[in-house]
Amino acid sequence: MLRVFYLSLFDYDLTSPPKYVGLANFKFLLHDDRFHQSFGASIFFLLAAYVPAVLLALLIALGLNTRMRGSGLVRLLYFAPVATSWVAVSVIWRLVLHPNGALNESLGLHVNWLTSTSSAKWGVALTAIWKEVGFFVIIFLAGLQNVPRELYEAASLDGAGAFSRFRYITLPLIKPISAVVAVMAVIRGFQAFSAQVVLTDGSFNTEVVNLFIYKTAFASARMGRASAVAVLMFLLLAVVSLAQLRVLRRSDR
Amino acid sequence: MNRALRIMLAAITAVLVLAALAACGSSDSKDKGDAGGKHVTVTLWTHTHPPMIKLYKELIKEYEAKNPNVTIKYEQIPNTEFGTKMLTALSNRSGPDIINMDDSALRGEYIPKNLVAPIDPVAFGKGSADEIAAGYVPGTLDGAKGKDGKLYGVPSEFNATAFAINKAHFADAGLDPSNPPKTWDEVAADGKKLVAKGHEGFNFVYLHSGWYTQELQTLLNETGGSILTPDGTKSALDQPNSVAALNIWNDLIRKDKVGNANTASKDATVPFDDFASGRRSMTMIYPWAVAQLKIDNPKLFKDIEVTPLPQVDTAKPSGRWYAYYLAVNKASQQQREAWKFIRYVVSQNQRWLSDVNFIQPVVGWEKSAAAKKYVPFLDVWAQAYSQGKFDEVAPHWSEVQDQVKDAVQRSIFDGEAPQKSLQQASQEINGILGS
Repeated sequence: MLRVFYLSLFDYDLTSPPKYVGLANFKFLLHDDRFHQSFGASIFFLLAAYVPAVLLALLIALGLNTRMRGSGLVRLLYFAPVATSWVAVSVIWRLVLHPNGALNESLGLHVNWLTSTSSAKWGVALTAIWKEVGFFVIIFLAGLQNVPRELYEAASLDGAGAFSRFRYITLPLIKPISAVVAVMAVIRGFQAFSAQVVLTDGSFNTEVVNLFIYKTAFASARMGRASAVAVLMFLLLAVVSLAQLRVLRRSDR
Repeated sequence: MNRALRIMLAAITAVLVLAALAACGSSDSKDKGDAGGKHVTVTLWTHTHPPMIKLYKELIKEYEAKNPNVTIKYEQIPNTEFGTKMLTALSNRSGPDIINMDDSALRGEYIPKNLVAPIDPVAFGKGSADEIAAGYVPGTLDGAKGKDGKLYGVPSEFNATAFAINKAHFADAGLDPSNPPKTWDEVAADGKKLVAKGHEGFNFVYLHSGWYTQELQTLLNETGGSILTPDGTKSALDQPNSVAALNIWNDLIRKDKVGNANTASKDATVPFDDFASGRRSMTMIYPWAVAQLKIDNPKLFKDIEVTPLPQVDTAKPSGRWYAYYLAVNKASQQQREAWKFIRYVVSQNQRWLSDVNFIQPVVGWEKSAAAKKYVPFLDVWAQAYSQGKFDEVAPHWSEVQDQVKDAVQRSIFDGEAPQKSLQQASQEINGILGS
């Protein structure tokens, strides 16, 4: 990691000796449309994939947080996509999202999910939601199982409905786990790479920051500039993660 | 000076002289990389193409039998990873001795960055690079020449562009298979009739940015347009002749609707899958793809006719060349041995024709027995090889290719006017060239 910080101050094409350029790589990024576009694509992917995935995961976890026959198998099914590699999932979803694929055919749609600027980013987000929901379900389930059942029973006796029990018991008590989920969602969102490579190769405004870094470093051989992006993303993620933890901790008091 | 001291001085002098001689000898050997009978291992990296890999393995076996002191370590790298893996390997000096690289990368990156060694005529048994060049069709080695005029490789595979039609589809649509389209207007007209019969009339191949660029370059060569200005410092994509090239593409797909870009195969491992599977009726094609088609789908192959590439102006036919060259890593410690193996590989050009359908453009290749026997549609290819030119290249070419891809996609998939799309690409490319 220190090497990346170091290289961000150099012009380095992998095959010639690095040339010191100071902050020139960072200055370039300030005005580089492609970097701005990739940053926007990462933010969009984070919001469009991980906000629904986390909310859906919470709903599913609430549903699964009961003692019923076969719940273990159901949990396993939700977790299966998590255990599958991003590449395998993306290859499957490339078929699902094909114009003549399962999604369009089953819903009677005519959407070019992976070949238009207006819809490709949603196609990639859908894939990520399917892949990632199970991961957050498991974390939420762990949090929910730590909520004492007596609290629900007491609230029910006091006449609290399902929503009130969720609002005043569940939500406050799973806030610590929610903080973990929020931080992990942001980190995983910004880690996006494989789905974009397999589904669109970054076309149609789906080139997220990591893909931009990869192409800049290894296809364009601009290692210094790629390192500068990596440094910026590291700092951004550190600040956002700390801010998330601080906000959620404060409201927990 | 006593006797012991004299003996000691003589001994020291003798050791120094011997060391100097040994150093001279090893320096010479190291510079030229001649094994001098010692055992050496020469590494070779190529991209993937099953018939090619099979022949390389046979040639390696034969070469090692004839040269017991040489071991050839052969690795194949998937096409999509080839450039990245090669570049990173060269950066940490773990790259191969022999590099099998396409002409764009060679001229755009490897030669300007001094990563490959000039050809070694001695290893070829020749007195100069010009003597080697005299054995090839004029112009076909330009893809491996630097701005210094030096030659850095010899072709393992040389490709021109032609056109292929499915004769059964033509008959089905009431078209005469013996009268294939000669212009892009005729492709549009025939394509509509083929679509009406339930076939995909014609389409381009939509894979990575390299494919987008090479297909647009083919059209640019015909319209007189170009990606860059002649001095290579600015984009020329917004010029009328360049816009005309994307207009051809745009009209065929969006106006005449002879193909559907959204449903086209995007699998880079089988670039001509739509044509090879019998879904598409017409395609641009390269010699290796015809050979692959013959292997993969012999039944369909009987219905295939390879014809000259449709033209904008049939009076001024144009085409596109691209080639893979065998070059030697500048950092290799056994350059001469590497060139000697390359010499053996290219000396088997008749087997490259018969076994792989790879055309190595040695003088008179088209008159050889192997060409006549094993290269289907030889007349078409011979014509295509006489009217092509290599692609443009510039520093940071992959970034330029990405902009070309984005421009084509904006136009073909999103419906943006070609002129507007290429103007945006031009601005971006000017930024890349200036950074």
